[in-house]
Amino acid sequence: MTGLPKNAQCVLKILENVESLTTTEILGIASTDNYADLCTDCAGGDTFIAAANQLVQMGLITKKFGKGGYRWQLVRD
Amino acid sequence: MVDWTKIRSDFPALERTINGRPVVYLDSACMALKPRQVIKAMNEYYEQYPACGGRSIHKFGEEASNAYTAARGKFAKFLNAADEKECIWTRNATESLNIVASAINLPKDSKILTTSLEHHSGSLPFVERARRDGLSIEVIKAKSDGTFDIEQWKDAIDSKTSLISVVHSSNVTGTIAPMKEIVEIAHDRGALVMSDDAQYAPHHPLNVQELDVDFSAISVHKMCGPTGMGVLYGKSEHLESMNMCFYGGDTVSDVRFENGVILPEYLPPPEKFEAGLQNYAGAIGAGAAAEYLQAIGMHEIEKHERSLLDVVLKRLCDMEHIQIIGTDNITIKTGLVTFLVDTVPSAHDVATFLNDELNVMVRSGWHCVGPFHYQLGIDPKKGTVRASFYLYNNRSDVDTFLSGLEALIEASK
Repeated sequence: MTGLPKNAQCVLKILENVESLTTTEILGIASTDNYADLCTDCAGGDTFIAAANQLVQMGLITKKFGKGGYRWQLVRD
Repeated sequence: MVDWTKIRSDFPALERTINGRPVVYLDSACMALKPRQVIKAMNEYYEQYPACGGRSIHKFGEEASNAYTAARGKFAKFLNAADEKECIWTRNATESLNIVASAINLPKDSKILTTSLEHHSGSLPFVERARRDGLSIEVIKAKSDGTFDIEQWKDAIDSKTSLISVVHSSNVTGTIAPMKEIVEIAHDRGALVMSDDAQYAPHHPLNVQELDVDFSAISVHKMCGPTGMGVLYGKSEHLESMNMCFYGGDTVSDVRFENGVILPEYLPPPEKFEAGLQNYAGAIGAGAAAEYLQAIGMHEIEKHERSLLDVVLKRLCDMEHIQIIGTDNITIKTGLVTFLVDTVPSAHDVATFLNDELNVMVRSGWHCVGPFHYQLGIDPKKGTVRASFYLYNNRSDVDTFLSGLEALIEASK
């Protein structure tokens, strides 16, 4: 996890303790003080979501589109 | 009559398929695709004469100098500048705006004027200049459709106003500011006008002399040219009186050494603002891009984009769950549309869905225009979606984009 960009680390950390989250929920959590040291692009969100999409490509998280948009989930061993 | 199919074939990136589908590129307001003519001009420099312009006396140097000089001339023609020395090569419009903000002499106690619709690059350099020198700064609020009443400008521009930074065409709403009228009011009251033409120059005929703007900032990467290239246009008298930003090689006519003291004599513009070894390939590519667009005709490009935008706006206006940000009056609009989808709270989800399902590449986010999003009550984290059209887009791109949106709405209800 340490080799990943900070935005990607932030996504993984947020998803660690939950079942799944929407994009808006992830960005909302990322912009809280708890993640201030990891979240480097929460204001506009585009770089942050680009990092999340890269994690999907890497097989570390999944995303599924449905009512209200995407839900993101950690791939657990 | 322009053969738009032939124009489209100039862009190799559009020949790609991803997952067996063609690409629908609708993010030109961020980055335009590059035609073969521009790539070829830059490759020629790297392959045939990759030398320093203006310095080396060998054949490669001579050819590089000639191509570099010709490129500035082509760009000056593109803008209809009175003199090619009024065109300074920069890295992008942001750098052009920063040079003016930091190097122009402004009277103490004067006022800088800007708007809530500016790209951060059009507002922040001036916010910081005002902070640096204790100047006041006033922000004109754009109307929610991205337009301005000329009365707002008449009220805000007063005898204390020294400089106005205004976006000519908004990268969010696409709305075109009444630049000629703003300049007339400004000059009448003794203020200078800095026009952010990053979005305007690639899509409309830009005539800096007719508009009478004092400065114009352009990003070449948005007009089919290379990345890392921009232009600062400035009237000669202003460029001559401005302070320098960077010092060093290529900015001097002489550097004497007398009595232990180094005594530089600096060159006039444009060299005054172009310290160090320049991006020769970039400048040559910028000249080629300007020439390419001019050969097609900026009026024709504007008309083509508006014909696509007209279809898009009419369909979006009829579509449930879509809220358009900005005016739907295409006569005062660049070829882009920004919108929200109420069944999908995050604009990033719209962009991701369109990309994943149909290779439709749009932009989501706050588009570096935080103040306007806050003004409209839109959470910048959720953002807005922007689809932007250019000379290589066609009706098929529009139809794929619209059917993608319909599929998204259906799947997200």
